[in-house]
Amino acid sequence: MLAYIGRNIALRVVLLFIVSVLIHGLIHLAPGEPSAVDPSNPRMKPQDIAKIRAAFHLDDPLYLQYVYWVRDLARGELKSFKDNQPVLGKIWRRFLNSLPLFICSTLIVWTLAFPVGIQAAIRRGAVFDRSSTLVAYALISFPGFFLSYIMILGVVEVFHVPVIGLRTFGMEGATGAFQFMDRVWHLVLPSLLGALGGIAILSRYVRSQMLEVVSQDYVRTAKAKGLHQDVVIYRHALRNALLPFITMFGLLIPGLVGGSVIFETIFAWPGLGLLGYEAILSRDFPVILTLNVFGAMLTLLGTLVSDVLYGVADPRIRLE
Amino acid sequence: MNTVNRPVASVDAEKLPPPETPWQEFIRVYKKDRLAVVSSIVLAILVVVGISGKVFTEWVVVFDAEVVRLPDKFLPPLSTPSVDIIPAPDLPQLGVYVFGTDELGRDVFARMLQGSFVSLSIGFVAVGISVVVGILLGGLAGFFGNIQLLKIMTVDTLIMRFTDVMLCIPTFFLILTVVALLPPSIYNIMIVIGLFGWMGTCRFVRAEILALRQQDFVVAAEALGLPKARIIFRHLVPNALAPVLVSTTIGVATAILTESGLSFLGFGVQPPYATWGNILTDGKGFIFDAPWLFVIPGMAIFVVVLAFNIVGEGLREALNPKLRRR
Amino acid sequence: MRLKRWLLLAPLLLTVFLLQSYFWVPTYEKQATGNPKRLVTYIEGSIGDAKVLNPILNADSASSNIVGHVFEGLLDLDENLNLRGRLATKWTLSEKAYLFVSPSNRFPDGTEVSGPRLVNRIRSALQRASFSVLAENVKGMEVVPPTSLTQKIPIQEKGEDGKPKRGEVEITFNMPERVAFSLHQVDQDFFARLMPVIGDRYLENFPYEKFVQFPDGITPEIKAQVRAQLSGIFPVAEHNPIIEFSLRKGVRFHDGHEFDAGDVKFTYEAIMNPNNLSPRTSDFEPIKFVKILDSHKVQVVYKRLFSPAINAWMMGILPEHLLNKKAMQQEMERRELSDAAREAFGMRDSQFNRHPVGSGSYRFVEWQSDEFIHLERFETYWEGPAEYHDFFMRIIPDFFTQEVEFHAGAVDDYSAQPHQVARYKQDAQYQNFSSLGFGYTYIGYNNRRPLLSDPEVRRALGMAINVEEFIKYLLYGEGERITGPYPKNTQWNDPSVAPLPYDPEGAKAILLKLGWETNADGWLEKDGKIFEFNLITNNGNPIRKNIMIIAQNAWKKIGVKCNTQVFEWAVFLKDFVNTAQFDAVVLGWGMGVDPDLFQLWHSSEAGPQQLNFVGYNNPKADDLIVRIRQEYDVARQRDMAHQLHEQIYEDQPYTFLYAPLETKVLDKKIVLVHRGEDGQETYEKIYPTKTGNISYYFKKWRKLEMTPNF
Repeated sequence: MLAYIGRNIALRVVLLFIVSVLIHGLIHLAPGEPSAVDPSNPRMKPQDIAKIRAAFHLDDPLYLQYVYWVRDLARGELKSFKDNQPVLGKIWRRFLNSLPLFICSTLIVWTLAFPVGIQAAIRRGAVFDRSSTLVAYALISFPGFFLSYIMILGVVEVFHVPVIGLRTFGMEGATGAFQFMDRVWHLVLPSLLGALGGIAILSRYVRSQMLEVVSQDYVRTAKAKGLHQDVVIYRHALRNALLPFITMFGLLIPGLVGGSVIFETIFAWPGLGLLGYEAILSRDFPVILTLNVFGAMLTLLGTLVSDVLYGVADPRIRLE
Repeated sequence: MNTVNRPVASVDAEKLPPPETPWQEFIRVYKKDRLAVVSSIVLAILVVVGISGKVFTEWVVVFDAEVVRLPDKFLPPLSTPSVDIIPAPDLPQLGVYVFGTDELGRDVFARMLQGSFVSLSIGFVAVGISVVVGILLGGLAGFFGNIQLLKIMTVDTLIMRFTDVMLCIPTFFLILTVVALLPPSIYNIMIVIGLFGWMGTCRFVRAEILALRQQDFVVAAEALGLPKARIIFRHLVPNALAPVLVSTTIGVATAILTESGLSFLGFGVQPPYATWGNILTDGKGFIFDAPWLFVIPGMAIFVVVLAFNIVGEGLREALNPKLRRR
Repeated sequence: MRLKRWLLLAPLLLTVFLLQSYFWVPTYEKQATGNPKRLVTYIEGSIGDAKVLNPILNADSASSNIVGHVFEGLLDLDENLNLRGRLATKWTLSEKAYLFVSPSNRFPDGTEVSGPRLVNRIRSALQRASFSVLAENVKGMEVVPPTSLTQKIPIQEKGEDGKPKRGEVEITFNMPERVAFSLHQVDQDFFARLMPVIGDRYLENFPYEKFVQFPDGITPEIKAQVRAQLSGIFPVAEHNPIIEFSLRKGVRFHDGHEFDAGDVKFTYEAIMNPNNLSPRTSDFEPIKFVKILDSHKVQVVYKRLFSPAINAWMMGILPEHLLNKKAMQQEMERRELSDAAREAFGMRDSQFNRHPVGSGSYRFVEWQSDEFIHLERFETYWEGPAEYHDFFMRIIPDFFTQEVEFHAGAVDDYSAQPHQVARYKQDAQYQNFSSLGFGYTYIGYNNRRPLLSDPEVRRALGMAINVEEFIKYLLYGEGERITGPYPKNTQWNDPSVAPLPYDPEGAKAILLKLGWETNADGWLEKDGKIFEFNLITNNGNPIRKNIMIIAQNAWKKIGVKCNTQVFEWAVFLKDFVNTAQFDAVVLGWGMGVDPDLFQLWHSSEAGPQQLNFVGYNNPKADDLIVRIRQEYDVARQRDMAHQLHEQIYEDQPYTFLYAPLETKVLDKKIVLVHRGEDGQETYEKIYPTKTGNISYYFKKWRKLEMTPNF
């Protein structure tokens, strides 16, 4: 078991290295320069630009720039081009902001998708199944920002309450409960909108898994024994259908970085996605690079977790 | 015995349906799914609209998407132009602004028409790229997988590890990064979306080919000493195509959505090309003043993506013998 | 089945929990009653985050906004755009002028030149009536003995790869005997007025090579480079304008430390310190030195005539005690930096830039990146505390989102787009202000391109565009026509210059007269080539994009083919503007209040990465530009500025389009508060200054509970 995990970790470290080299090359070879280098300030002189370039090692060969990046990252001294703040600190703060959004939308996805998927499977071909299928397709076909705008517009124009950002501004004077609930309220729209696609995909997946399991012999046997349908579905079928979902838990983690760019931008939610978007706009190479690699690391971590979980949960698989 | 048996046999032969080709069988199953049929009709119409969009807004300019008529800005759909102010050659072709006008008084209908071609072609080209790359790499890994490279690893290991590398990069974020850093051009966007989308196809194709190679008809073909190319293109590829077709259809939907997402963040296709994505993005600033600028392209994207998704699902059902039997 | 129940209950509970939170959130109307502090909190929406909160380092508008509240300069501009004392109470201008005693020269009557002789001659000349203007201005003069100076001179060398490389060479210059003049007022023609005494050609042919010593091993080529620069660096006749500031006493920084002359000198030195990479260096470069006369008196001596230099002192003053060497050392210790980091440590790395301490009316509290910056009023501000207790700048990177937050009452102010302003004007809940700022938008033509090098062609292109129409429809009237390079609300702008008429027929006639002919496709053609060029602009500015499309449409109507493209800002600058690889651009400038146009219009500033990227080159304009920046008399500056304006209008290097109006939409509950002697409050409707500054009285603004009736 331990050897298996160790081998997996080693493999993933190698992968991570290759990914970081790839992304590093991609970012530095692309045209365009950090905005600190060509600021909109008309009074910036060529000499000053040259100095800034030197300070950021922009004129060194590519492999050296990579080495500097790794070195600074390891020492925790890697700084953003934009504001000279340590990159790791920035990412960590934004990570903490993204976390509630991520948890809330994961909760919505998982609590809603299972009942819907199971019901659709049980009533295969019935109105519920067909309409839920159609709704699921509709949800994944809407451009996310389109729905967001419509929702924001509706809520603000009808209810006259703020929905943007982590919390309502000017609430510092209010009591703790009010502030907490205010934060919860600000979570509702972005997490719901971020969850819609997930609900659609996951419920479809639950449905097909259930259908797969329901046609298995042991379920038929259980039915033949004359057990109540609920018992058959929820005790016998569901447990086995659940197995693949354990692995999906691990695969969720990377959604923290990439999945939220659009929603965080719309809702001015200061999370990782927005950080990335802003870094891209200002060509803040250290942040873009570290964030991309951070995303890759989360993905690798996710697959590791799901592999291990699968091995633990499914007795048919031996970890060697 | 003979006399008894023959008529029975002939009755049996009449009762049985004529042997179905796989194609006919596919059509029969597919037709049952009414939603998918409707969606395919929608898609067919869209392709026609897209092509006519190219023809009538650029080659033979019937609907000019570029005429600016400032006095007619922000007119809602189906309003008539102010004939007395606008010079005659600038009036819209149909006499009304079918989808209204935008902030410069341009005809949204003409712009949507022009955009339909670009939007659809982004979807198709991007997916075309990812499918070609996916099939190539997947086929290589599946068929020549055991060949050793420099005695370190097999072709299969190399390709599949590379696929793993690509898979563990957060795709949308990286596409965003690359598109933002590259000079903005419609081809770059197609290529980037395409190049970050082949991993699924590659895995499918490899798995399919590996499975097919175990099957009797391929083993037989190999035993017969048929040339490799013949085995690959005549026996393996057609059989591996079914899942590719499904993922292609859904991939087009995803690519169109990705482009609109990029547009929304300001990194999509730039003018002079109109796409649904950037019409929508331009429209979002005027949602209080001219909601149709936002709703029309938004709904257009929605309808197309939905149609592609449903057709894809219909194909999956129709092409999957395992599902069909149930 | 327990599992089944839970499966159904869980989503239900979650939904209920999430939705009930709605009842805890304040609505637009209710927010003030439940939370009185909201009335004294001002929340401003900003598209971008600040980058660095340090007056000598910031270069973006969000940072400038915050820095403007936290820091204070020696001067600022009053309602009429005249200088007003802030940290300085008084300032006086005078001049020290130097003249080399040139031994190889002779006076007009043939006698040899020497220091005492020079002084005597000038002195006796000043007695004469024809020199009365000069005599009034001269306070005194003396002979300065020769000195020796070592100085680094910038040069271009060949690098190892054969490409030119910047370098420096240290030389020794034996400064000859000089005559120093103390003048009451700065006079750029001082030496010209002396010519009758010293001879017309006195300033020419100074034998520099006799006075310069090179270190060993310098190639003749580099020596030649140095010699070419000597007359610029050590001029025979030198003007040294002097400003003396008296500083306000009893002003304290937010941490309680008292402000004094040391802070002013420190701020100057920090800007000029090359490690700090300050973008303000060019504003302060003309300064020779800053001298502390006493704890509240500073003398600033300039190297040469440069009248806009005083405006630089509007920049915020840094607290020396928090940023000097000792403080930096302490910060490094506190943060336990590695040796490599210590080596590179400079003001840019200091935590001060995220926790600034100034002496302005607001005190810094907190900065959450890309979320908000929180300021609190400085209770002991020397002019009395501001009315708003808290100031927030919220970062909302999307126009729509800003508008939505404004509707929801979570933002008090944001930069509304013209079409939004037009809508708010209909709404009784809000008050609106529009006034001219210092910016303008233009189409700039690459004057070097043969196609566009003729002023007549550029005039024709300008006449084809209906500017009035797009001010009306695109800007909803929130813009004004301009005709030249100066902001309309400054005195430098010449109001008598009439804008180009909208006349597409006339435009076409001009082009036809120049030999262009309409071809079968409707395009203009000459020598087998159609009139075609590219118009580009940067991404992210919807109005510029629209102007581009409108221009394209307008030119199409006169047969000119224009291809348009939008580029990302960085690419736009690097690949097109900085290298002058463009035909035409849509861009805008934000101008200062001074009449100096050197960087934008002088022909010497047309190189790569310089701001005269259109390559405007007119010797007459060059001369005016130089004379304007050397003139210290406002009336004369104005006359020359008007001439320059007309000259540039004649040449049409840009099509000057419009100056956007700065707009502000505020809730009507926000008013101007006046406090009487007895603490009685009276309210007044907010009004902009005559020159259009809406937020000029911001410190007196406050939100009332009820909408007042004025």
